[in-house]
Amino acid sequence: MNAQTLQQLESARSLALGDGSYYPTIIPGVLPIIEYSPENQSIELQRWGADFIAEAFASPTWPPDAKENVASSVLPTLKGFLEYVEDKSVIKSVVQAAASVYPLVYRHTISHPHDARDWEIMSAIKANILRRMDTAAPGIRICCIKFLQRVVLVQTPGIVDPRRPDHSDISLALVSRDHPIIPYASLEAEGHGLLDRLLDIIHGDHSDGLVITATLNSLGMLIHRRPIAANKILSSLFKFNPLKLGNAPMTSKNKVVIKSIERTTRALMMNIMKRNPENQINGRIQQYLEHMHRGRVELFDESSRKRPAPAEPTDGLDQAKRQRVAAQAPISAPTVHPLPPGPVSWRQLYTLDPNGSTVNFDVQAFKDPEQLLRILVPVLQSVDAQKLDHAINIVRSRYLSLSHAAKQAAAQSATGPAAEDEEEYEPDFEPEDAEQIVNRLDGLPATDHPYQSGPPTALAPYKLPEAPPLSEQEVQKYGDQTVYRAFGMLSSVDENQKTKITKSGFNRLAATDYGRDAWITILSRLATRANAGLDDPDEGIKDEYAVKRAKGSLSISEAVRDGLYDYIIHDWKRRIDVAISWLNEEWYNDQILAQSSKSTKNGVNGHTSSDTTGNYQRCALRMFDGILGFVEHTDKILLRFLSEIPALDHEILSRLKTMAKDPERIDLACTSLQYLYMFRPPVRTMVVDTLADMWQENDRAKPSAGKLLRKWRPEVLGEERSTTPAVKSEGDGQLAKESANGALEVKAAS
Amino acid sequence: MDPRLRARQQQSVAVPPPPPPPPVEPSPMGMDGTNDAHAESNKVPDDKFKLKFCTVCASNQNRSMEAHLQLASAHLPTISFGTGSLVRLPGPSIDKPNVYHFNSTTYRSIHDELAGQNTALYTHNGLLNMLGRNLNIKGFPERFQDWVPGRPRLEHAEDKGFAGTESGVTDVIITCEERCFDAVLEDLHNKGGKMNRPVHVFNVDIKDNHEEALVGGKAILDLGLSLNKAAGEEREAFGESGWNQGGGAARSGFDERVPEILASWQDRWPSMPALWSLAWV
Repeated sequence: MNAQTLQQLESARSLALGDGSYYPTIIPGVLPIIEYSPENQSIELQRWGADFIAEAFASPTWPPDAKENVASSVLPTLKGFLEYVEDKSVIKSVVQAAASVYPLVYRHTISHPHDARDWEIMSAIKANILRRMDTAAPGIRICCIKFLQRVVLVQTPGIVDPRRPDHSDISLALVSRDHPIIPYASLEAEGHGLLDRLLDIIHGDHSDGLVITATLNSLGMLIHRRPIAANKILSSLFKFNPLKLGNAPMTSKNKVVIKSIERTTRALMMNIMKRNPENQINGRIQQYLEHMHRGRVELFDESSRKRPAPAEPTDGLDQAKRQRVAAQAPISAPTVHPLPPGPVSWRQLYTLDPNGSTVNFDVQAFKDPEQLLRILVPVLQSVDAQKLDHAINIVRSRYLSLSHAAKQAAAQSATGPAAEDEEEYEPDFEPEDAEQIVNRLDGLPATDHPYQSGPPTALAPYKLPEAPPLSEQEVQKYGDQTVYRAFGMLSSVDENQKTKITKSGFNRLAATDYGRDAWITILSRLATRANAGLDDPDEGIKDEYAVKRAKGSLSISEAVRDGLYDYIIHDWKRRIDVAISWLNEEWYNDQILAQSSKSTKNGVNGHTSSDTTGNYQRCALRMFDGILGFVEHTDKILLRFLSEIPALDHEILSRLKTMAKDPERIDLACTSLQYLYMFRPPVRTMVVDTLADMWQENDRAKPSAGKLLRKWRPEVLGEERSTTPAVKSEGDGQLAKESANGALEVKAAS
Repeated sequence: MDPRLRARQQQSVAVPPPPPPPPVEPSPMGMDGTNDAHAESNKVPDDKFKLKFCTVCASNQNRSMEAHLQLASAHLPTISFGTGSLVRLPGPSIDKPNVYHFNSTTYRSIHDELAGQNTALYTHNGLLNMLGRNLNIKGFPERFQDWVPGRPRLEHAEDKGFAGTESGVTDVIITCEERCFDAVLEDLHNKGGKMNRPVHVFNVDIKDNHEEALVGGKAILDLGLSLNKAAGEEREAFGESGWNQGGGAARSGFDERVPEILASWQDRWPSMPALWSLAWV
């Protein structure tokens, strides 16, 4: 049955070979016969089928557009083969077919962004192939390499030249940035990653030559079609050593492989140069080729030069060479000088050859650590492992014997020599040799073990001596200075900001920027709340504390308050808002404390504190007193202050009476009271009381005060009516006028 | 019967044969009697797996055609090419070569033209003999750079070694001098490996004269048979039983065995320095 089926399939194939346009009709008919299924496990059919699919999609006789339409139908078949069939030739053909189909499915997915199914299967196939990459048999690996090349090709952007649009070039340039199934960025990243993987191959094992030449031969087209990747590939190629196998025994197979790799590299380089004769990199390529040629001549000339001794086998030469190398190592061993008796420095411990020319080499000559790195890393790489091990062993044995000696010395409690050591110790790091550097690096962890008392302390991190403790006065002084500095900074900010005052309304939060307001908020809260819970509740109880505070005024709050007060007084008219917000903070803090103390004290022992005086009243009075010294009769800003501070009481208002003793400022005092009466109803009684007091105590204030009292509390006036009729009648007239429109009158009075 | 092939003949009972290629016409006698006798003994049975070969020299006249004949006579699918820009044949003097275009000038027309020019000269230097051989192998010299891999070669059905080459692909390319080897590798870079199909490219250095070409042809046939044998073993080494039966070299695949095969071939033919590379068509 198989033979018959194969014959039918073969005739279908010849039909397609005769005319490529038959492929789209033949493939759907062929797939059910060849695909893997539990019933169909005929290896011949599978081999034939895999070959056929690979051949069909590689064929130049039918156009890519037609292939693209058929491509998705073969994906499940390819996937089935990859997952269930172990045969090498089937897998080889399947990977080849996948390499041909991948760009087609890729382009299909680009133009059909919602057809995720095909891409899913293709991705599964890709994953399967990439998994095989490193482990499969070399015959399959090379096909995987070609597949990789295809993927890199389509997943890197091609040349987009609007003058010569190349529609057949399937590249990353076709993918839109926001493709839902194949995101541009991840495709690009995968492309780069796979290119790296491809390039890694040529730096790997050369012994079979197969994957190396397969990779080299796949790079030419990438360089040509993807200029973006060309530099990366070329720089990797310049690092490529085609004669790597030269160190291996020169068997006839290795000879063939070396020559083949060299020749393949040459062909690739020549191709790059011929493709683009004006390329700047051609000089570099030429150089590389010459270098490679010289290397090859040396490699093969050496063996030809030794040909005259025919008795000696070819391999024997190499062995003789190797033996000599091996024999050299023990020779170098005795040159190590023994350590001098007695305590030794680190430098002596690591110096294997004190007479060597590198002893005096000063590493500090390298000012630039980068430069040192550039030298050090290649040196480290070129260190002979055997020599290094030997050197490490010497240092190790020295170290061991020294630590034994140190233990014995410790038993005898001999600490004297350590001091001597310190004198000898030179902190200059002077490597004598490449090995010395390595030795030292290797030896570093060993410094954890204390065996010498002297030098290690010098290497310990330096600590500043501890400062003597500050006295109380000093603490206060420095604290004050800090506050002073904060306000100094504030006034400088002040000047800068005066010009651009932006009102951000409700958006203004405390300390959202570094502006004046933010600092004011911070400072006033620092003053009011910083130690609020500590200070106030104890106030009434601990007398000694209160005394101390009064005496030394250690409290930071007081320092800040002083600062704030000075700051405001310095330019009180412009900084009245600062005063108001500060006093608001004080008041708020007092309220909070009063509430909390009320709740806790009630809860704990039922002791109700006498209503806490708090800081607000004290500060407000102080502020007001301070301002009053400077207020002139035209300073209406006082009204603002009085109306905006959070709480008023008799004591504060009584200061207005004091102010009214100055005849010039009587009117201002009365206006203030009138304003408060009108716009701050809760304090009306207080205002009227104050006014009445003023009327009674201050004769010169009587006319102004009388006018107001006449309206608000005429009975006070009644007591005095008989004594001062003239004044009163005069005031009457004015009052009548004012009562018509109080607000306007306030304005007029100023 | 080659003892190596006999062993395989017996094995083939267990393993079903690969798809049989279309029937091949019986190979006509070549120009050289000894040649045929040699090929006869190396014929690869048609029910065996066969690699597809391609021989390349400068003008697709002497070395590549001799190798073509020998490979085709062993029933291996073979095509052949030249890598030069033109077909160049020796003329009456060294500075007057006979130059023809590839792909269009037939061997027969070249033969007739040279025969008309100076029969004695071209008989004496062996050109007519060579062209007579060539026109029995295929129609005209083909240029490698103009070859489109994968394009069916149904119109070449009369060529020797056609069977198996109908789809226009090849597994092995054998060039006859390093210049051609380089040209092939470079051209394959230019072709870009669109088919994603691996191809082993070999170079066997052969001097361009009739005697060397004959020896070189034998060497190429030796290489071809060795490669074909290894490839056949890979095909047969399928499945549990097959995999376990094959020991040593037979167990590893064809491709990775190629360097070894070439190395042992080189030991047999030390006068023809060989090169090899795995490229893509």
